[in-house]
Amino acid sequence: MKVLVVDDFSTMRRIVKNLLRDLGFTNISEADDGSTALPMLQGGDFDFVVTDWNMPGMQGIDLLKAIRADERLAHIPVLLITAEAKKEQIVMAAQAGVNGYIVKPFTAATLKTKLDKIFERLG
Amino acid sequence: MTKLMSGHVSLEQAKLLVEYLDSGQQEKADELIAEIQNPINSELFAEIGKLTRQLHDSLMNFQLDSRLNDLATADIPDAKERLNYVITRTEEAANKTMDAVESIFPAIDSLQDKVKTVNPLWQKLMDNQLNLGEFKNLCLDIDTLLKITGTESDRIHSLMTDVLMAQDFQDLTGQVIRKVIDLVREVEDSLIGMLTAFGISSTTGQAIAKPSVGDNLVEGPIVNTEERDDVVSDQDDVDDLLSSLGF
Repeated sequence: MKVLVVDDFSTMRRIVKNLLRDLGFTNISEADDGSTALPMLQGGDFDFVVTDWNMPGMQGIDLLKAIRADERLAHIPVLLITAEAKKEQIVMAAQAGVNGYIVKPFTAATLKTKLDKIFERLG
Repeated sequence: MTKLMSGHVSLEQAKLLVEYLDSGQQEKADELIAEIQNPINSELFAEIGKLTRQLHDSLMNFQLDSRLNDLATADIPDAKERLNYVITRTEEAANKTMDAVESIFPAIDSLQDKVKTVNPLWQKLMDNQLNLGEFKNLCLDIDTLLKITGTESDRIHSLMTDVLMAQDFQDLTGQVIRKVIDLVREVEDSLIGMLTAFGISSTTGQAIAKPSVGDNLVEGPIVNTEERDDVVSDQDDVDDLLSSLGF
């Protein structure tokens, strides 16, 4: 499974990559914001996107909307891992078609639970 | 100020006007006529005059307050540098820690692998089912396991010390941030002073004033979740909210 991790902080990308590797995801690429991520997604056969919300350039929510609006990418599950904690934002992400929402700070166990849930739903 | 009677002009004003004209003070007479014709304007002018004087005084006071100048030209740029230092140090610390942890993982994995190789023969030994040839193999396996355990635990120990030492940023960044907080407090006081000098009460509109939020609603980590009801406080809240939306 090919995963794209999108976050403007390299340390957070590294944490997420390590956790994902521990959970058996070994094919992981990185992008530092939505506008770098989108062409990568359009060019490669990614199966899963983990993204932050607040990034310079294109924000995570806009990346999510762009993924859902592109029929070749619309099927890709998207997990938001973000410090954004306003109810309004969570509702907005849900309406935009997010598959999971994790608030920072988070634990390895939370990530595992959310991933299991996402892939269980997708079957 | 002109006293308004029921008519447009008072007897006093009329007498004064005649006096001005008699004594050839044409300008004053014209002014008086203007004032009689439009008393509100002159009140307005007086008010503007007062405000202008206040503004002038306030500005003069600001020029005298050199601290304000220092804040803008020295302290705030310095604070920016300090905060950048915090970003650099915390990033370094995070990377140092992760370097160590990423080296510890394979060390532990190699120990686990070795234990896995030893385990089947060891179980046989415990169950008294081991023959001599297997026993020799087990001894060799245990020998490697002991050696690997020795070297790998030394390595893990030194890597754990690296993790420990990487935490020294907290003390330094803590001091830096505390200084910046002091500066913010000073700027806050100056701003309040400025508002007061301009006659704007700092408490006016405080009830509705909220810190500004960036584009797209982004606000970053919420530090006062207890005091707010528009935010979630943890992952359980997020999950509850999402399930209430049918997620």
